Amino acid sequence: MIEISEVKKSYGNGESSSMALRGISLKIENGTFTVILGPSGSGKSTLLNVASGLERPDSGSIRYDEMDISNLGDKQLTQFRKENVGFIFQQYYLLPNLNVDRNVKMGADLAGNKEYRQIIEAVGLGGKEEKYPDELSGGEQQRVSVARALAKNPKVLYLDEPTGALDEETGRLVLDYIDRLQRQLGFTVVMVTHNVNIAEMADTVIRMNSGKIVERYAGQARKTAYEIGW
Amino acid sequence: MIVRTKDALRLAGISVIAFCAVFVCTLFLNFNLDMVGVKSLVFSGEAMAFYDAQVLMGNVISSVSGGCLLMTSVVMLLFYIKHYIDAHKKELGILKALGYSNWKIAKGFWVFGLSILTGTASGFAGSYLLMPVFYDAMNGGGILPDITPHFHILLAVCLAILPSLFFGALAVLYGCYKMKCPPLDLIRERTEASKRRRRKRRRAPKESHFLGELRRSTVRSRPALVFFIAFSSFCYASMMQMSVSITKDELAGPMFTAIVFIIGVLLSFVTLLLAVTTVVNANAKSISLMKVFGYSYQECRGAVLNGYRTAAYLGFAVGTAYQYMLIKIMVGFFASTKKAVPETSFNFAGFAAVLVSFVLVYEAVIGFYAMKIRRISVKGIMLE
Repeated sequence: MIEISEVKKSYGNGESSSMALRGISLKIENGTFTVILGPSGSGKSTLLNVASGLERPDSGSIRYDEMDISNLGDKQLTQFRKENVGFIFQQYYLLPNLNVDRNVKMGADLAGNKEYRQIIEAVGLGGKEEKYPDELSGGEQQRVSVARALAKNPKVLYLDEPTGALDEETGRLVLDYIDRLQRQLGFTVVMVTHNVNIAEMADTVIRMNSGKIVERYAGQARKTAYEIGW
Repeated sequence: MIVRTKDALRLAGISVIAFCAVFVCTLFLNFNLDMVGVKSLVFSGEAMAFYDAQVLMGNVISSVSGGCLLMTSVVMLLFYIKHYIDAHKKELGILKALGYSNWKIAKGFWVFGLSILTGTASGFAGSYLLMPVFYDAMNGGGILPDITPHFHILLAVCLAILPSLFFGALAVLYGCYKMKCPPLDLIRERTEASKRRRRKRRRAPKESHFLGELRRSTVRSRPALVFFIAFSSFCYASMMQMSVSITKDELAGPMFTAIVFIIGVLLSFVTLLLAVTTVVNANAKSISLMKVFGYSYQECRGAVLNGYRTAAYLGFAVGTAYQYMLIKIMVGFFASTKKAVPETSFNFAGFAAVLVSFVLVYEAVIGFYAMKIRRISVKGIMLE
């Protein structure tokens, strides 16, 4: 379980400082699908960064089962990310000089995963292992980043606007792969998005505004990527 | 075309190389031209042989160092123009899409030639400042009549003005050539590496480790940087060992030794720093991503910087051989004057000392840049 307690985070100093998170507390059960919604500047990406160990909070604690990561040093945080979390970003961030196979291997090698090619197949990229990122469409590139993130066998997968740069059809396809693999492999998903329709795919929905959680609901029936609106 | 301060600073490397090339060439060629004036006063056979040896040595040093540095300047200029186009592909692509011709866009690239003008002009002026001392040292033997420095407009044109015009024109032509691609390729930032890949697809061994593959691809993606790093260690090895050897064998005075030493330090440091800066900056995004995924600092450092070590030590080996051959050639010229010339052999002690200092300096520079890698933000990738 991920347990976030009274987390605060601000940027800048003195008068120019802005409070991005104003005492956030929430719990995310293992194996669930959580969607964080909110307008720009609401603090949802900051929450994702802090929760995943990319940034340290100013105060408060973030516990993964028994481990509090809020006070870990750089080395320990790196080790934590290596062993526990996967990331998918809006902009894919594939390594341009490496082909699909090697991009996915980037994640697989961290976990010593020799079976990573199954994940390439699972995201529908079988036969495209030798292609380079600039030879793929946006949707294919995002599926490579999905495969890369999952190849390291993460306990938690963090997604920051994963469909933000995709059209509806491709966006649904990518979400469908994530949804099916999550159900099959049982990892925890925490997704930040603007698209309120995607919230229908989640077990838990969190709405944020001005650095605070303004609404949280759980236990709804999950829909597939092809059942939601867009 | 907008060339920002950052771009201009990168061009400082070309200016330094141009400075060194013109500085050395002007000193020796000016002396050679002034020697022509005293040729009618040379009567004895021994003096004439010495005269011929001096002329030959000046010509060899000028053509070897000038030619070598000119070639490096060309490679560096082309590399920076390519780098500039790569960094501004989107803007240039939009200009092309709007209807600007390749020529119209590329003609602004002449400003890259200014970096050469800065180097050649300061090298030319610098050599004239040092010329009285240089002439004193060259006249020291007393075999030839005293030679005094004169200004030669021909040298100013050939060493300072023409190279600047040549490089300006080369920059425009190369820019024009590099712009010859569909605007969409530029806007979508499609790289040439990907085009090359389509022609020659390289199959990586299936089970090689990701870090090893990344290290290889980092090196392969910018072959010019391999050249610069090898060139940097070549300069260090050749110039340092030469300055040690010519002092030990009393082949030249302290001033010549100091010139060789300073040029060696300047060239090797400027080239190495610019090359490694480019390597680290070009890979900042990959490093940031690797950190996000949980790769350690040592793994990031190794993947980005370790691939160049072979080139660096290879450059050192070639530089060592080069300086030994050059000294042999110089001694050969003087031997033809029948003047007592000291025996020369490979200076193992000098080699060992320079090698140790090279290892220390190279690893210190890499260590310094590794600190830069350590400072690359894990979140930096999301701030674009």
